[in-house]
Amino acid sequence: MQELIATLETQSDPLPGAAFEPAIVAFVCNWCTYTAADLAGTSRMVQSPNVRLVRMMCTGMVDPKYIIKALLGGADAVLVSGCHPGDCHYINGNYKARRRVKLLMEILPRFGIDSRRIKLTWVGASEGNEFAATVNRFAAEIKELGPIDTRRLPLL
Amino acid sequence: MGSIARIEVKDGNPVAALQNFCARLLADSEITAVLAPRQLPGNRGAMPALVAAPEQLHDIDPLAPSFRLNAARMLTRLTRGADDGGLVAALLRPCEVRAFIELCKLNQGSLENTLLVSLDCPGAFSNTDYPRFAANSGDTWSLVQFLGTSGRGTHGGIEIARACCTCEHTTGAEADLSIGLFGQDVEKGLLLMANTPRGEGFMTRLGLPEATDDGSRDKALEALLAERRAAQELMFAETTAATSDMTGLSQFLSACVNCYNCRAACPVCYCKECVFLTDVFEHKPWQYLSWARQRGALKMPTDTVFFHLTRLAHMSTACVGCGQCSNACPNGVPVMELFKTIAAATQKAFEYEAGRDPGEAPPLSVFREREFPELTGGLD
Amino acid sequence: MPSRIGVYVCHCGTNIAGRVDSEGVARFAAGLKNVAVARDYKFMCSDPGQDMIIKDIREMGLTRVVVASCSPRLHEKTFQKACQRGGLNPFLFQMTCIREHCSWVVADPVEATAKAKTLVAGAVSRVNEHEELYSRVEAVHPDVLVVGGGIAGIQAALDIARSGHKVHLVERGPSIGGHMTQFDKTFPTLDCAACISTPKMVAVAQEPNINLMTMSEAVEVKGYVGNYTARIRTRPRYINEDRCTGCGLCMEKCPKSVPSEFEEGLAKRKAVHRNSPQSVPNTPVIDPASCIYLVKGKCGACKQNCPSEAIDFEQQESFLDVQVGTIVLATGFDILDPTALTQYGFGRYPEVYTGLQFERLNNAVGPTGGKILMKNGQAPESVAIIHCVGSRDKNQHEYCSRVCCMYALKYDHLIKDKIGHQARVFNFYIDMRCFGKGYEEFYRRVQEEGVTFIRGRPSEVTDQTLSAEEDGKLIVVAEDTLLGRPVRVSVDMVVLCTAMQARRDASEVARIFGISQGQDGFFLEEHPKLGPVSTATDGIFLAGTCQGPKDIPDAVAHASGGAGQALSLAARGEVSISPTVSWINPDICVGCKMCVDLCAYSAIEFDERRKVCVINEAMCKGCGSCAGHCPSGAAQVRHFNEKQIFAELEGLSQNVPLVRQPAGVDHL
Repeated sequence: MQELIATLETQSDPLPGAAFEPAIVAFVCNWCTYTAADLAGTSRMVQSPNVRLVRMMCTGMVDPKYIIKALLGGADAVLVSGCHPGDCHYINGNYKARRRVKLLMEILPRFGIDSRRIKLTWVGASEGNEFAATVNRFAAEIKELGPIDTRRLPLL
Repeated sequence: MGSIARIEVKDGNPVAALQNFCARLLADSEITAVLAPRQLPGNRGAMPALVAAPEQLHDIDPLAPSFRLNAARMLTRLTRGADDGGLVAALLRPCEVRAFIELCKLNQGSLENTLLVSLDCPGAFSNTDYPRFAANSGDTWSLVQFLGTSGRGTHGGIEIARACCTCEHTTGAEADLSIGLFGQDVEKGLLLMANTPRGEGFMTRLGLPEATDDGSRDKALEALLAERRAAQELMFAETTAATSDMTGLSQFLSACVNCYNCRAACPVCYCKECVFLTDVFEHKPWQYLSWARQRGALKMPTDTVFFHLTRLAHMSTACVGCGQCSNACPNGVPVMELFKTIAAATQKAFEYEAGRDPGEAPPLSVFREREFPELTGGLD
Repeated sequence: MPSRIGVYVCHCGTNIAGRVDSEGVARFAAGLKNVAVARDYKFMCSDPGQDMIIKDIREMGLTRVVVASCSPRLHEKTFQKACQRGGLNPFLFQMTCIREHCSWVVADPVEATAKAKTLVAGAVSRVNEHEELYSRVEAVHPDVLVVGGGIAGIQAALDIARSGHKVHLVERGPSIGGHMTQFDKTFPTLDCAACISTPKMVAVAQEPNINLMTMSEAVEVKGYVGNYTARIRTRPRYINEDRCTGCGLCMEKCPKSVPSEFEEGLAKRKAVHRNSPQSVPNTPVIDPASCIYLVKGKCGACKQNCPSEAIDFEQQESFLDVQVGTIVLATGFDILDPTALTQYGFGRYPEVYTGLQFERLNNAVGPTGGKILMKNGQAPESVAIIHCVGSRDKNQHEYCSRVCCMYALKYDHLIKDKIGHQARVFNFYIDMRCFGKGYEEFYRRVQEEGVTFIRGRPSEVTDQTLSAEEDGKLIVVAEDTLLGRPVRVSVDMVVLCTAMQARRDASEVARIFGISQGQDGFFLEEHPKLGPVSTATDGIFLAGTCQGPKDIPDAVAHASGGAGQALSLAARGEVSISPTVSWINPDICVGCKMCVDLCAYSAIEFDERRKVCVINEAMCKGCGSCAGHCPSGAAQVRHFNEKQIFAELEGLSQNVPLVRQPAGVDHL
């Protein structure tokens, strides 16, 4: 049977003592932060490779389940990033996202998931530099925090 | 402060007095039926019954410390939609009233179509404990003793459910009418208090003798609440300590078998079909094997922690702490402890209190343009 | 049946392959579940690249396609079309970005390749869950609604009407023309505002394709792109437009006088009034708040004297529903009321004027017949013009109003021209912004006319004098920031270049039309650069200063842009509606209505019969506010549903290095 993922020679089993490379999932809106990420790329702004973008149309469609799933499924941290307040392409999706993130911030840290592992930012379409800086800061912060507990646990 | 009347108790039997009160309600031309707990045969506890004929009121027992299900969901079925039924008077515990108010916000029931009557609640025994209590203390004398303690201590060696021991909502001022037990000599009389215009209207029509508030109920209540809050703090502290990391949480939930009884028993888990029962969570065999290979071992069934965390996200802001989740768990997972602890935090975060006010919008259904600046590092 | 996925990894010349081992990524992809073929190629977007996909779909029976290349914002459509040409539904395609998000930003080639593999794994996992979707085509009603009859609305209406499409032009006031009719000259050419605006206004009146509705506002808008229904409320004018000849006798006979809004309070008007004889329509209007008959039921002087029996006190408010395909908003701007900036003394000192008031002082039909006179009837010997009043000011508006520098220069010139060279004029400015065609030249010309420019925002205007010379004057106190020293300038008259700001009811209008406002209150365009006239709501376009401060040429150009956008939809006659909108599964929906409140587009209705919420797909924008909340998952955004996102997460997290535990330990 084929595996979902073929075993990666270099990745699946890091060598003992190898530096911890966090996996960070970012739910970003198509109109602002995804565009900012494109701009950061076009402007060749070097970023740590740990952040993987999941393109959403709006942060307002980020179901709290997605964040929980990511954090239980091996992501060391989750970034949710959308348009600045007042700039939402869909009028106010980002405000709804903020409440949902707030809710999770009240729940997950109580179970030892460090609140620094869940980040909400506003990065506008023109802020390529801000996007790159956010990615680099966040990755550095999570590297320092170390791997998330759930990685060890055979729970899902 | 609304008007107060007295429900006379004859022959030292408050249950009979409440049956009589229900008969008075039924006699009112506006009331079509009364929803109230009724004793099941064989000491098995009480379940809600919808009584339309006064002669069927004989087994009605709103005071039985049995709480087999939260009747709020039942009441939504009787009130939802429009005006095609008629007014149902519902005798409820305060947690049932608050759950019903939450469900009304979610368009599941209607406050228009019911007269809510809430009884002071000393608490109830768990479903497993109640038959033991009733076997030893099924008579009126024992009930009066139980009411006299306001649920404190042990009764036939048994304590009331932990959800009740830690409940700070022992009275239901959100209802149209409240029946006061605390601080009263329940062998002689109970208080009836009107809290809303509808309640006031019925109070006048029921023709009960007026009473005055001598402060005894408030005083008894205050003492009880102090104990309950202390118990609650202790429970929060214990639960928080036990679940302070993911290992702790997974141990806490380790007996969960994904039966979803907790969500079926939860009055505010109102979905027709839980998302965890949909095909979104139907994994393919190779997925399980792939997960197991990655982690070395995989707990089966999967998705238990995911389920509980998601349920916390979905309903903790609406949780009224009734404890039916724990009552329904076949494997003794302390679900109530976990949910009540988190609910206290999430409700506080949104300055919300489940069931407090029908006009208060559920936190996730609204937003403000400027709020929670701490989430984005102080930036709007 | 398992899907058969084709994965295509682009080199983008060396843009990707220079950092990412594209071949290695393709080899990795070939080992992923359900992948039937994985290839790499120099330029996937080229014709041979696309043909490769098409050929594989046809020959290998692919049912899903993944392309790993540049940002989907660039080429998603390209590859979707290629899939379609190959006979595959375009939504069975997923694109992942390994250029902007990977090869261009990850320095280390090993890390970049690993990240590319992860991203491909996410896309492959996700595409398994993709479903066929079909765009809908809806007819576009050929008529257009233009809201606001200022110069922008006039331009938009004329452009559209002349193409043969019918326009409903709705104006709140009694006449079209807007602020421009209040101006005297226009910068930098100094042609008179009336001379250039009046022919446009008349053209509107004479254009058979324009249905002009004055005294009217849109109060409710329903529908979606191509099919809007707007409810127009028309307030009574109390004069029958068909009968009135515009002779003006009613205004002569009316006994009641009140301050004129059009004259910015500098003159009076009658209760029955009109802005100017060139008004379009030129029928006067009776102001119900000041008309003696309408307030007290007595008088009727106008009615008795009207030779054409046009006065009708019985007129009532009326409503009309118009059907249109597109809407152009040209609702204009308000002028900031400088009373709140008490340091400038507006309202306290009679000789402090707003810019618009000064326009009226210069206008030949204004209160002074076009002479620049003080309240005492004398011409001022000296005038101070304060720029940026309420603009570029953190406490008022941070933005620049874009017109003040130029109209201040115009005032400089007019003062010199009308009062004489001896008149002294002082400009207090922050920066001179003369960016338009002929503007810098005009600046130079005015400088040469002997006007004084002082760089610095005045701290106050006061009548507290320090010397006999200052007696009877207004003193402008400022710091000359170029010289770095305080200055006191005594003048006879002060003109405040007050900021342009969003209409006070802009938020109400935004709500009615379902569009947004920027932080400055002006309506928000779809994109600040590439979509300056469209809005996030399909079929609704912006024209002129309702989008932000503009001078007349910019407002007119913007309006023509808005008209063009509306016309391109109207002329095509149909619009393709994206299928990536929400859907609520009626078997799962419990009818809690939370989504109804969360939807910013009123696109969700409650079906009373079935007790479930239903999406109006034509109004849904696919933002997922409903799906993000719906606890049962009944509400889902197509192409962004839970299964798809979960699958993507699975893929993205698969090669997260997990520290293995010996079997049997920690089984919880």
